[in-house]
This record gives sequence, C-alpha cells and structure tokens, in this order.
Amino acid sequence: MSTRTAHRPIGATMIDPSLGLPTITMAAPMPGFPAHREFVLVRLNDDGLLYAFTSVEDPELRFLVAPPEPFFPDYAPEIDNDVFAALNTKDPDRLLLLTVITAGVNETTANLLAPIVVDRDSMRAVQVVLSGSGMPVRAVMNRSY
Amino acid sequence: MLVLTRRAGESVMIGNDVIITVLEARGDVIRLGIQAPRDVQVHREEVYRELQSVNREAASPTDDVVEAVAKMIQPAETPDHPADHPGNEG
Repeated sequence: MSTRTAHRPIGATMIDPSLGLPTITMAAPMPGFPAHREFVLVRLNDDGLLYAFTSVEDPELRFLVAPPEPFFPDYAPEIDNDVFAALNTKDPDRLLLLTVITAGVNETTANLLAPIVVDRDSMRAVQVVLSGSGMPVRAVMNRSY
Repeated sequence: MLVLTRRAGESVMIGNDVIITVLEARGDVIRLGIQAPRDVQVHREEVYRELQSVNREAASPTDDVVEAVAKMIQPAETPDHPADHPGNEG
C-alpha cells in the first residue's frame, strides 16, 4: 500500500489561512481598508447566493457579498478596459461580479455603484467604481426575485 | 497646502508617476486629466468618502446578521420539481 503525503510549501501555508481556498489579491485596496490586500471567498449558503469575502490577514474582517443577478436582474454594469488591465484579464467571461451587502437592522442594501470584480483566472480583484452610472450605493434588497 | 497656478495644458507631477493635467478651465469648472499607475486608484473625493463609509458599515457583520441575511435571500418556496423525484409506479 502506498500512501501519499500532501506536501505544502511553507510559503503557501503562510499565504493561505488553512481555509484551503484560493487567495484573491486586490489590485487596489478597498476604500476604507488600505491594509487588506488578500481575501478568500467563503460560501455561506448552498445556493451560492451568499459569500463572505474574508480577509486573509485579519479573518475578523469580512464582507457579505452576493452575485447581483438574482436580486437585480437588470443590473449589467459595463466594465472598463482599465479594469481588465488591472486584473490581468484575458477572458472577460471569467470575471465574477459581486455586490457588497450592508446588512442593517431595518433593511439590507447592496452597493451597486461599486461592485467587486474578481478575475477567476488571475485571482485578482478590485472594487470598481461605476463612475457616471448613477447606480446607488445603497440599493434595498428584498426577496421579491 | 501647496498652492500652484497652472494654465490649461499644463501639468503637475505627484511623485514619479502621477501626472495631473489641467485640460480646460471654464468659469468655476476645471477639467483635469490624470495619469497614474494601475494600482493607484483615482476617485472624486466625495465618491471615495462615501465608499469608505459604506464599506466600513458593511464590514464584519455579526453572525446573527449574516444568518438573517441568509434567510432573507433564501429563494421563497421553490416549486416542486416532479421530474426530480422518481414517480410512483402505476
């Protein structure tokens, strides 16, 4: 019987906080969080509708994020070429769009002005400001979808 | 605050790689062109401040809040999918 030992380079262990998830690197930090450059995406429900965008450096820091399509079907932001360049995007179809959710006592809102765009190949991400789009920073989320 | 006077077409450099050019001045509206490396994000100040505040507000919700959101976005009453279940013989 042969056994296989999973060797993990020490460097990889230090970057990846045992969650075993691929690390996403911010091409530019999120406004308000200049020191946090590395995140992992932790799935929170079976449907893949809710994730925690969790800081590797500080697992206490997490953002609730969701793919916007189910909640805002008409939301189809245009992504600039600058963003492709910042993310080293080769195939725009590999981009994942996530909206940041602010969960409040009375209402839960989604930031449609500044979605997080993740390139699933380069594993780079950036919070893109859709300048001039007139999109709301706090769009109320409800279950009527 | 450093104060400089520039005419349209003239620029200011910040550090080694950020160049801000005055494109046009018309009354109290000034159009600027900004060249910066990709990892330097450029935002209108008020937009940046708003994002900063909504990001801080969104950051690190408690487990209770996360659970509430998860429940809220749970698709309401998915209709049965008879095809998914093997039908009774008959």
